[in-house]
Amino acid sequence: MNSVDTVVYLISSLIAISAFYIQGQEFIVSMIRGQSVQSVLIAVVAFIIGWQERSYDFFILGALIIVLRAFLVNYFLQKRIPKEKVYLYERKVSLSYLFLLDLIFIVISVFIIYSIAFSGIVLHSFLGNSGNSAVLVFPLTLFFQGLFLIASRRTTFTQIIGYVEEENSLVLFAMFLLPIPIIIEASVFLDVLALVVISSIVVLEKFTHEPVEELRG
Amino acid sequence: MILGQLLAVLIILIPGAAGILYRTGIKQASIIGGSVDLAIAGIMYFIRPQVGFFFIQNSTMVFIVMVLAVYLLSTVYSTRYLKGVEVMGISEPTYYLLLNLFTVSMLFSLEVNNYGLMWVGIEATTISSALLLITEKTETSLEATWRYIVIVSAGVTFAFISIILIYYILGTLSVSAAIASHVHSRIMVLAVSLALIGFGTKVGVFPVHTWLPDAHSEAPSPVSAMFSGVLLPTALYVLYRVYEIEPVRDLYVWFAVLSIVAASIFLGYQVRYKRMFAYSTMENMNLALLGIAAGGPLGITGALLLLLSHSFGKAGAFYSSGNVLRFTGKKKIAEISGMGTSMPYTSASLLMSSLAVTGAPPFGTFFGEFLILADILSLHMYAQFIIVIISLAAAFISMNYNVTGMIFSGNQPNVERDRLMPALSVLSAILPLFIGIFYLVVYIEIL
Repeated sequence: MNSVDTVVYLISSLIAISAFYIQGQEFIVSMIRGQSVQSVLIAVVAFIIGWQERSYDFFILGALIIVLRAFLVNYFLQKRIPKEKVYLYERKVSLSYLFLLDLIFIVISVFIIYSIAFSGIVLHSFLGNSGNSAVLVFPLTLFFQGLFLIASRRTTFTQIIGYVEEENSLVLFAMFLLPIPIIIEASVFLDVLALVVISSIVVLEKFTHEPVEELRG
Repeated sequence: MILGQLLAVLIILIPGAAGILYRTGIKQASIIGGSVDLAIAGIMYFIRPQVGFFFIQNSTMVFIVMVLAVYLLSTVYSTRYLKGVEVMGISEPTYYLLLNLFTVSMLFSLEVNNYGLMWVGIEATTISSALLLITEKTETSLEATWRYIVIVSAGVTFAFISIILIYYILGTLSVSAAIASHVHSRIMVLAVSLALIGFGTKVGVFPVHTWLPDAHSEAPSPVSAMFSGVLLPTALYVLYRVYEIEPVRDLYVWFAVLSIVAASIFLGYQVRYKRMFAYSTMENMNLALLGIAAGGPLGITGALLLLLSHSFGKAGAFYSSGNVLRFTGKKKIAEISGMGTSMPYTSASLLMSSLAVTGAPPFGTFFGEFLILADILSLHMYAQFIIVIISLAAAFISMNYNVTGMIFSGNQPNVERDRLMPALSVLSAILPLFIGIFYLVVYIEIL
């Protein structure tokens, strides 16, 4: 493993840590900012791969991530946080218990999925020179962390962030494996942004989600 | 052909173009646009675009016609239905604008020759349709909207992994090229399997179906008709296009069978009629998935016939439900009685559509189910055949028992105040009958 590989692994680790940071937060604004930092880190990875591979597509991708994910998603979500104090953080969350459960879920699911499906995969970028695909563990971790965040929390904001985290993992996954055409990637970014905007409209009407009698069965 | 490309583009753009008249006459423009679009689809059947940006086969045409016909019916039905909505979550022009964009995104998903753009189109259907669910704004509809957004979006991300993997193996996202590639690998099996979870969320495959009954039951009836009649088939079409690359038959067949069993069980204990119809949709979609997974000419023809008949039959069922809700204000099966006298036209459409979607002969759905099951038998899948037959029988009995109970128990004074709404529900419910008879006539002619 050369020094550039090491830097990519290091930043990818920070991306995974940012996901755990978000999981550990009660305050909505901290989660939103955590997502922004995560997106910027993914953009940095895109710039490094673009520089190594001499590919402009990665630079465009990185720029799109910063503008659409790190900035616009953050802007739309922060704008929608109600001013009342009770809405600033998620109440009745057992953070330590969820964190433990989260770690067990992530370790088991990533281990199973990676060893069954992705361990023998050959990466097309310079990251595949070392002959292993271990770097794919990071997007997988992010993906399952996003899923867990959606499943474990009750507020609309947290679930939106869980979804954005899942989408971030797909960008990272494609960057490591083989980036899909930039026009498709841009369309996906815009789709996700539109979904965040639509979701943020629901936020105004419904802040938390509990079981509803009429929707049982 | 250039003309073919132009027609394909026009079909997508026309419903969206009605949005230009947002402030003045979007309602009328949508109806005119829908009618023109149907006519263009008729022309495009003969003048197809070359394979390039678009990939339109005969099967695609069936889906396009289905989407446009149900869109047109729902738009006309909405003109009356919306008048009775007490608290509107969105304005009337916004409703039509979103309905049009919803149709545009479905047509785009059907026509494009690119898996990535198909995914974008499917995600766009969620974006455009989510706010339609809160047209009749209540706490429950808001919760259903949120569940729809979060479950479908989270599920569809699995499908994007599948698309990344397809691109990794084939180096292209072109649907036509991928189908012709005949590449077999372990990763491709993984990609097609993940698509079942991803796009399967939108199709209503068990256990990722949970958004379906909530969204169908809380959406306004014309939107429920579009969800059930054309949105789910559109997602199924995209799933079929992925499945064609590497048919993972056993996995798809068993998931379809399991979903049919689950749907027939859930359907049995529903107390609200719209939720009951929602589970019937889940059953029919998975039956079509079974036909596609079987993959023979019988299975594919059966699936297309089933989906086409079901789209009108289920639209009829949801329009009838809309009539019942509008004329009585009641949502529970047990609260409705004497429909035969209180709503004669609606009860006729409700009965016909109920028989149609449960596969009674001679409705088109019956022949579709027959062909699918024949294909399953030809593959010697006896266990699957028996399980499906039992589930279909259970669903048929429980649904028609509830519907006949609503219609034939007791006498009530006539409350059918509107003419157009019952007329549209009867028209939709009768179409599967015509499709069935038409198929039978053609079949006998061929023999």
